[in-house]
Amino acid sequence: MMSDDYCIEVERLVKQYKYRSVLRGLSLSIPRGSVFGLLGVNGAGKTTLLKCILGLLKPNAGHLRVLGDDPWRFQAATKSRIGYVPQSDRLYPWLTVQEVIEYVGSFYPQWNTKLVHELVSQWQINPTDKYGVLSEGEAQKVAIILAMGHEPDLFVLDEPVASLDPAARRQFLKTILEMVIDRGCTVFFSTHITTDLERVADHVAVMKSGLIDFTGELGQLKDEVKRLRLTSQVPLPNDFECPGLIGLERMNQEALLSVRGFTPDVRQQLEQRYQARINVEDLNLEEIFLELNR
Amino acid sequence: MDKDPKYYFQISTASGVPIYRQIVDQVKTLIATDQWQPGVFIPSVRNVSKALEVNPMTVSKAYSLLEKEGVLQSVRGRGMQVATVKSAANDLRDRQEEMGPLIDQVIDRARQLSLDYQQLQDLITKAWEDKDDE
Repeated sequence: MMSDDYCIEVERLVKQYKYRSVLRGLSLSIPRGSVFGLLGVNGAGKTTLLKCILGLLKPNAGHLRVLGDDPWRFQAATKSRIGYVPQSDRLYPWLTVQEVIEYVGSFYPQWNTKLVHELVSQWQINPTDKYGVLSEGEAQKVAIILAMGHEPDLFVLDEPVASLDPAARRQFLKTILEMVIDRGCTVFFSTHITTDLERVADHVAVMKSGLIDFTGELGQLKDEVKRLRLTSQVPLPNDFECPGLIGLERMNQEALLSVRGFTPDVRQQLEQRYQARINVEDLNLEEIFLELNR
Repeated sequence: MDKDPKYYFQISTASGVPIYRQIVDQVKTLIATDQWQPGVFIPSVRNVSKALEVNPMTVSKAYSLLEKEGVLQSVRGRGMQVATVKSAANDLRDRQEEMGPLIDQVIDRARQLSLDYQQLQDLITKAWEDKDDE
């Protein structure tokens, strides 16, 4: 069932390359107006998923809906509502930044020249530099600006902050939030820089070997994945166990556990079963990401 | 309340504490320390969000939790203000709640050091009296 509440809907998506199955029946829904972060280690399949969503790759099986349209048969009107920043993009190296901007802008009926100029000066890019000789970071800024010029409703970014310095990253995050707050657009981006995600995202998905391992609100993820420090009155038995256990380091009467799906009940159960005292520790997103990828 | 929201809030992503909870705690501290007085209008969700570079849903989640607790009240068309009606009982509970996280830390540390409740209480009593003597 497709609904208007979601900007992107992915159902049981399969994508195989010649020797390798990259997406293995993956399902994911991106709420309209959300800032959605897709986390995953290198090779998890993030870029492949983004490319399927953009209609740049044809899936082998499954169902996809983006802005109410099928990406493989996108209508021109739907395409013009999407902005995409690829991981590396150095098209037109012989043109200057200004020329690239004018060229790309000429494809769109609703190009916001004012916004583009503001960003170019805010991000301290020299419009007369040749695109081909820009540093990684500068080229990425230009790619982001090019994807924002037509004020898309859906903004898809593949590792957008990877080569930006901290100041540029903050500026970028601020621009993203302004687009969401002032224009209500949806932002979907892949990353492995968790601190940025933690600030700007409201929803996250953790991708692992071609499937979604967790998806939900960021706050929910933080509530559900915890580290427990357990100190028992008695030596811990060999068959020590705990619901949702993803990591365990144990000494004689102490144990350090990482748990997913945590609730206060879990704590109580453990305290009773092992006559233990338990400290529950909050984890930041990076720690959660590492725990989920053990 | 013309100051940049950055003046009031300090958000950290290094700690595991969810950002909405950091905002909730900091609003309570601002009120408890009289920096924000009853009836004052506080910065809007969008201003806080832009200034702190934090998702607006996170800020609005914090504000609505605070509203539910009666710490803030929303005024139609004008935004959020610090609650004006505050019963004495409520006020005491707020101040006690403010101590909660600190007390948790003290208890956790005491347990790590294998101090029992009585020993911890003795320490607090002694420290309290020493302060009185100062």
